[in-house]
Amino acid sequence: MAMAHCYTCSISSNFFSNPKFHSNNSPPFPKLFTLSAIRLPQFRSNSLAVDSTTSYPLEKDDKKLLLQVNDLTAVIAESQQTILNGVNLTVYEGEVHAIMGKNGSGKSTLSKVLVGHPDYEVTGGTMTFKGQNLLEMDPEERSLSGIFMSFQSPVAIPGVSNADFLNMAYNARQRKLGLPELGPIEFFSHVYSKLDLVNMKMDFLNRNVNEGFSGGERKRNEILQLAVLGADLAILDEIDSGLDIDALQDVAKAVNGLLTSNNSVLMITHYQRLLEYIKPAYIHIMRYTTLSFEVP
Amino acid sequence: MSASTLTPILLQSISTQLHSLSSPLFHFPTSRFSFNRKLKHPISSKPASILTPHAALSDPFVLQIAETFEDSLSSSTTPSPLQKLRDSSSESLLSLSWPTRKDEPFRFTDTSFIKSSEIQPITNPPQDSDFSGISLDTQLPYLTIIDGYIADSLSGLSGLPDGVFVGSLSKLPSDGMVKRVAEFVSNFEGDLFWSLNGVGAPDMVVVYVPEGCRVDTHLHLRYCSMKGSDFGSNKLPVSNPRVLVLVEKGGEVGIVEEFVGEDGNKCYWTNSVTEFIIGEGASVNHSYIQTQSLGAANIKWTSVRQDSGSTYKLVEFSSGGKLSRHNLHVQQVGPDTVTELSTLHLSINDQTQDLHSSLVLDHPRGYTNQLHKCIVAHPHGQAVFDGNVKVNRCAQQTDAGQLTRSLLLVPQATVNVKPNLQIIADDVKCSHGAAISDLELDQLFYFQARGIDQVTARKALVFSFGAEVIERIPVASLREKAKSHISELLDPTIENSIT
Repeated sequence: MAMAHCYTCSISSNFFSNPKFHSNNSPPFPKLFTLSAIRLPQFRSNSLAVDSTTSYPLEKDDKKLLLQVNDLTAVIAESQQTILNGVNLTVYEGEVHAIMGKNGSGKSTLSKVLVGHPDYEVTGGTMTFKGQNLLEMDPEERSLSGIFMSFQSPVAIPGVSNADFLNMAYNARQRKLGLPELGPIEFFSHVYSKLDLVNMKMDFLNRNVNEGFSGGERKRNEILQLAVLGADLAILDEIDSGLDIDALQDVAKAVNGLLTSNNSVLMITHYQRLLEYIKPAYIHIMRYTTLSFEVP
Repeated sequence: MSASTLTPILLQSISTQLHSLSSPLFHFPTSRFSFNRKLKHPISSKPASILTPHAALSDPFVLQIAETFEDSLSSSTTPSPLQKLRDSSSESLLSLSWPTRKDEPFRFTDTSFIKSSEIQPITNPPQDSDFSGISLDTQLPYLTIIDGYIADSLSGLSGLPDGVFVGSLSKLPSDGMVKRVAEFVSNFEGDLFWSLNGVGAPDMVVVYVPEGCRVDTHLHLRYCSMKGSDFGSNKLPVSNPRVLVLVEKGGEVGIVEEFVGEDGNKCYWTNSVTEFIIGEGASVNHSYIQTQSLGAANIKWTSVRQDSGSTYKLVEFSSGGKLSRHNLHVQQVGPDTVTELSTLHLSINDQTQDLHSSLVLDHPRGYTNQLHKCIVAHPHGQAVFDGNVKVNRCAQQTDAGQLTRSLLLVPQATVNVKPNLQIIADDVKCSHGAAISDLELDQLFYFQARGIDQVTARKALVFSFGAEVIERIPVASLREKAKSHISELLDPTIENSIT
């Protein structure tokens, strides 16, 4: 069983206090299972069921608590269908986490709920980021407070150039921090230095946001935005899907380059190969049942 | 290969004829008519009016307007093409009535505001002393047309190549040119407003580009309205500017038509007609910018006749007027033509923006592409689009595309669109589409997810919607002007819509 790989699992002390742990019945809705991943575990089906609602210390090994999600439940706004049911997740600063799981298990939903996507309604539980209640914040406030989500398939915005878009976002951040905003020309030189990071050419900035971009270009563009805007918590939603090996290495290199001891990454992925480039400290598995798989 | 798309609606789209003009009942024995039954002005060179019994079928209201127009014209000698125009227009007016909502071309466009006003033709050419309020901010050769009359003192036509003529019909330098112009006058039957312009136009502006002549600058025609009545006075001064652009074989020219009103809500009616005759292999780049006062009625006809291998490109930006209607007719008279039409309509206030376009393809290998966009941001604002493309039997291998996109930014904003293709030829490539929406929520969220607030995001998205058309305006200074005008109009609206 995969538990064997759970060397320094941060939540192991809670295992046996959790009544659900002993239940072998599949939960009807998505759950998060957490494994530590000093070494990549070999997963087997339904290996481990951890569902902890215990509160975490605000600091761990001098690391500050960044994100805490407790017993989060959410529904699709339109159909009121439950799509997250009791998700728990704790991220300290400087940590790299990965969430894995099958299609439709709610991985992307969790990331969208974290950034406040209007398609989903939170029906219960709490989400705090740096001590602030995320549920009370608009999507733009969540972004400005330091959460960045790279979209799985970012939309194209015809008529708005990449440079203008980044400039708007950058200035919004500067305003929030009380720093001077940059005009288009100053901004251009600021952003120019970041282009190498994602291995993109200058004309990338003059093109309309994601319009006519290949899959790889869209992903690079997301990472470029992350590099320009910075983030305390970067949620990378399937940043590896649709990338060839070179592009994947570029993207991974860029992400690693942005990692410091103060910021954290939450990766959502299907593939182990990404984890070889960006090494997570924790791997969580989102599990679902047939019922939740029916979610459109 | 044939790929044709047909909307079911187009089968009903053929407009109802008010009266059949071909009916023998409407055959008039004489070619000259006058509406002036009172015989108050015997000085007129025209014979006193003898209204035939058929006139009993005419619309008395239309006759009354025609009569006041006729009275308003000066009695000095009229150049023969203009006289010909007046005569033929008078003739058609006898069988036309004021449009109602029951007439298909005006089903969604309410013209009763004009009808209920007291229509006053503007009789006097403007005096130089009145021009103080008119600003000049163009780098292009320009001609100013005030209330339908050419204002020479506000025109600067240097920089045009030799042989190009821009000015009044009465000043055409040679009889040959007068004859050439006369060939094309009144070759087309428009609607009531077309004919009213024909009767009421005090002058005809002629732009003549000789064979093989390429004008590498754009000619700026500025239409100003000075005589406006105050809002609520129920008086509607009307002007009838008339322009004929004749580009001979191989010629090239850019024409900018800019319609501006005075500030505020002055009420007036501009009933203009512009005709383009584009010769073999010739090319016309036409920009039409309309920012009339919000109390104005702006009814415009553009008729284009394209000979073989010719190119006509139109970019329209229209945001002014209480009622703004553009009737656009493009007739292909030879093969291998290129026609590109791009329109952006903004209804930010309680106003109607209407485009009725019809493209008639009768020859092979024509290429047409039409993009119509409108933004409605007022609960009583309205946009109307009826875009008809006829691909007739001989127009094989036509490539015709049509797309209309509307953005409705507030509840109860209205848009009526009817894109329609009528295809008879069987070897053609045609496509059309219509989309009506608010802003895409996914796009808005993308902005927000990057920390950009809703107001800024909405502004950027609305602006980018219009930018697709605005970017096609060929003159940089006009492009910038249009952009800043859009921001001015939209910024407060978007801010209000969020709060």
